[in-house]
Formats: sequence, C-alpha cells, structure tokens
Amino acid sequence: MTLALLAQSILNGLAAGWVYVLLAVGLTLVFGIMNIVQFAHGEIYMLGAYCSYFLIKLYGFSFWEALPLSALLVGLLGIVLERFFFRPFRGRFEPSIIVAVGLMVLLQTTAVVGFGTSTKSMPGIIPGVLSVSGITLSWDRLLAILVGIVLVTALFLLIQKTKIGQAMVAVSQDTDAASLQGIDVNRISAVAMVVGCALAAIAGSLMGSIFSTSPFMGTSAITKGIAVIILGGLGSIPGAVAGGLILGLIDGVVPPLLSSTMASIVGFGVIIIVLLLRPRGLFGHE
Amino acid sequence: MSKGARLVKPASYTALILLLFSIPLFVKGAYPLHVLIMVGINIILTSSLRTIATTGQISLAHAGFMAIGAYASALLMMKLGLPFWATFLIGGIAAALIALLVGYPFVRVRRVYFAMLTLFMGTVIRLTIMEWRDLTGGTSGLLGIPPPNLIVIPGLLNIAFDSKVPYYYFILVLVLISLLFLYRIDSSRVGRTLLAIQQGDFVAESVGINVTNFKVFAWCVGCFFAGIAGSFYAHYIRVLTPDSFGVMQAIYIVVYMVVGGRRRFSGAILGASIFTLIPEVFRGLKEYQPFVFVGLLFIVIFFLPEGLVSLPEKVRARIRKRRGISLGQS
Repeated sequence: MTLALLAQSILNGLAAGWVYVLLAVGLTLVFGIMNIVQFAHGEIYMLGAYCSYFLIKLYGFSFWEALPLSALLVGLLGIVLERFFFRPFRGRFEPSIIVAVGLMVLLQTTAVVGFGTSTKSMPGIIPGVLSVSGITLSWDRLLAILVGIVLVTALFLLIQKTKIGQAMVAVSQDTDAASLQGIDVNRISAVAMVVGCALAAIAGSLMGSIFSTSPFMGTSAITKGIAVIILGGLGSIPGAVAGGLILGLIDGVVPPLLSSTMASIVGFGVIIIVLLLRPRGLFGHE
Repeated sequence: MSKGARLVKPASYTALILLLFSIPLFVKGAYPLHVLIMVGINIILTSSLRTIATTGQISLAHAGFMAIGAYASALLMMKLGLPFWATFLIGGIAAALIALLVGYPFVRVRRVYFAMLTLFMGTVIRLTIMEWRDLTGGTSGLLGIPPPNLIVIPGLLNIAFDSKVPYYYFILVLVLISLLFLYRIDSSRVGRTLLAIQQGDFVAESVGINVTNFKVFAWCVGCFFAGIAGSFYAHYIRVLTPDSFGVMQAIYIVVYMVVGGRRRFSGAILGASIFTLIPEVFRGLKEYQPFVFVGLLFIVIFFLPEGLVSLPEKVRARIRKRRGISLGQS
C-alpha cells in the first residue's frame, strides 16, 4: 500500500467514522435516557438523506441550507415518535424492540412506495479534491469530518454546560431519582429523541451526498450504529465517538487490503471479542 | 377438571392434526401449499427461539444458524454426495456445534448485550457466506441444490419430491416432531429450571442450579432446530443466497415470538402462523403489503401487550365486565 493510498484510506475511514458517530450518538442518547434500542434509527437516517435530496432537487436549496432544514424536519418527527411510539414502552426491552421494528418496516415501506427503489444521487457538497504533495483528498469527506467534529462538540457542550443537558445525564443515571428532583422525564426523553433524530438526519444527508440514497440504506447503517455504541459502551457519548472512529478506520483501511466484506467481518469480530472481554463496552460502566 | 373436559384437549389436538394432514386433499395449487410450508419453517424457528428465550436471552442470530444448517446440508450433498437424510441431520448438528463452541463465552453476556452479541454473530455468519465465494457462491447464490432423495419402502411407498405435496407432509411431520421435543423440554423439570433462570440468575444460582450449563443447553437446542429448519429450507427452495438470512429475518423471528405471546408454548406457534399467513393474504397489494404486517404488529403490541395468546382471556374478561355492569344496572 502506498503512502498516498494509505492517507486516502484513513481519510475515508475518518469520514465514515464521523458519520457513524453522528448516527450513534442519537442511538446512545435514546438508549441512555429511555432504555430503548431504537432499531428504526437507521430509517430516520435514511429519511434525513431523502429530505435533503428533495430540498435540493425540488426546492432548489443549497446543500448548506438543506442540511439544517432536514435536521429540523426530521427532528420534529422525533417528537411524534417519542410521544406515540416509544413513551409507552420506555425501559421495556422486548415490546420496545417490536415497536421499533414496526417503525422500521413502516418507514422503509413508505420510502419504497413514495420514493421508489432506485438509488438517487445528490450533488456533492463541494466537488473536487485537495491535493497535498501527491496525496489527493476529496473535499466532501473532509467536510463530513468537520461537520461531525463540530456537531459532536456542540452536543458535548450542551450536555456539560446547560441545565437541560445535566437533566439528561441525571435521567440516564437514575430515572426515578431524577423525576423525584422535579425533572420532567417525558420532556427530557423528547429532547433526546429530537436531538438523536436531527443528528441522524445530518449523518444520512452527508452519507447520501458522498454516496447515494436508497430506501434500504438504513438497514446496514443501523447494524453499524449499534456496533458503534456497543463497542463504546451503551449510553456513553465519548464511547460512541471512540467506537465510531475505530469502526470507521477499519472500514477505511481494510477494504483496499482485503475486501469491504472482510472489513465488516473484522469490525464485527473485534466487537464480539470486546463484548466478551468487557461486556459493558470500552467506556461503559455499571 | 371434569372427565369430559380432560378428554376435550386430546380430542381437539387429534382433530387438528387430522385436519392438517388432509389439507392437500382439498387445497390444490402450489401457492397455498408453499405458504403453509413457509408457515411450518417459521413455526420451527420461532418455537426453538422461544426455548432460548425461556432463559431470558433473546437471540438475533437465529437466521444465521438457519443459514449454517442450510449451507452445511446443501454443500455436503452437492460436493460430497452424501445422502439427504445424513446431510439433513448434519445441518442441525453443525448449527448446534457452532452454538456450543461460542456458547460458554456468549451466555456470560446478559440481556441487551446478549441480543446485540447475537446480532453481530448472525451478521458475521452472513458476511462469511458472502465472502467465501468458492464454496458458497457468494452473493450470486448457491444454485442447483438437489431435492431430498426418494423415500422408498419396497412394495409400499415410493415418494419423490417432485411437487409441493411431499414437501408439505415432510414439514408437517418435522414440525410435529420438533414441537413435541421442544414441548417436552418446556414442560419438564429442565423447562422449569430454565424459567427460574429467566426470573433471576442469582436466585437460581443460589439454590444450586448451574445457570451457565442450562443456558448453553437451551441455546444449543434452539440453534439445532434453527439448523434443521435451514436444512429443510435449502432442499425445498433449492437456491440459497446470503440475503435470505439477514438481520431483518432474524428480527422477524423475534417479532413472531413476542407478538404471539412469550408466556405460553402456543404463543410462538400462533405468532409465526398468523404473521406469516395474514400478510400473504394481502399479496395483491404488492409494495404496499408490508403495511399490513406493520398494522397487525402495532395492533397487537398496543392492545394485546401479552401477545395473541392473551386474546381469549381479554375477550372473556371484557364479556364478564359487561355482564357485571348490566347486572348492576338491573
């Protein structure tokens, strides 16, 4: 492997990694606060991608306008999902999985019926490449990394510095104790869901512009997203960042050496081993 | 229980089994039989998943273990020319052996983490099949799998697997044997021990139950039947692609089990049957068809949280309540 190829692989891996992180922090927030594994999170990501696609193609928005709009629209959908689908099943593993699976099939079928099964490609964020001493790095991947870093930092600050963020931490540590302190658990759940959905929409839009959109893009994404949060430890945001970057790098560096299927086998193999050795993940605790 | 009531149950079971055996006499046409055959496969998958779930662990690797059985049986018959009956059993045994191999480390991981661990295990199995192209045909699939060998009992029987009818009888017998076996486990001392483990590992452990062994046992038995279902599927469908054993398939088996009702043995059978049959009835809706599945799923999970098996109790309670109110008014 030449140095140039290695640099590109690492960049591709980091770009994929930050997209995984954006997807996974929502999953981990919803798990931490509502104790629900949100299997339909991949479909939220898919809807985000389509939302941006239609905003750009039909309404003539630029990518930078479409990105926050799509996050807003899909975030609002999060309120509906929390109130009507997940609130009744908070903390109940089996029924919540079934509801999430129902949503998964519902949203995917809606996308198939509404948007068709053919893949759609968006115009790239910024076409072209950056050449530094013989190494070419594509701009869209650099930007995906940048967006990922900015948003995750913002989320981190939100959680650390604001009252609502601290309330989220309290609920994730002990729901009953938090509600005894006067924290409105339902409201905090809704906030977690909205933030999670908005970030997933942005992740989907970024991935959709780097590759393309398809109604089935959520299914493989959700397995990756779950892998990331399990690797990092359920409910932990630093864990999601570490997990996302590790998996992203495996996905970036292994394919040129072996194949993309092998990259996934290696990635999941690593997680299985981590889970067996540290059942709570890298950053998990109990 | 009166003597009459005691006889009703065996009598109704006998009647049901006779009815199931006579179906091909009045159901003509390949498609309805195909649907019933798929119902049979799903019943075996769901009931065996329930055996694992009685220890409080949900497996999302069931489609993966089905794939192991399917590919093992198909490949042994195609590449080594072993007879069907041998490969059919080896399919189940292969799945059980792999389950045993990973079982002890796996069962130490609990609840959500176990579910996720098995999700990744199932994914790794599917990806390995995709990657091992020389052996499995990769994503383009394993084609030309032979049907089961002729069943010949000289002068008496000569069954060739050339239409849906023999397959229907095959799966019917297979379902009955599997259910009998799984039911025996469920209603035995072992079954009660498994249930005790579900209610609390530590309590079970403290009364001297070797929780780990029992969990591994349930896991291996469950995976064995997933493998057997896979063996049958391979020689019935006769084309295997890794996509038939994806995450969604694994999740669907869990859905069948939960919407059927976890509490009772019949829940898995009911869930698998109804959730396979009803969407098929609406096949004409084409791409809109999954909405039927979703609608059914939401109705059950919101209105029958204990699953379909709780419907009679619910209805009875409702009637009693109404009668109570009307009596109160008069």
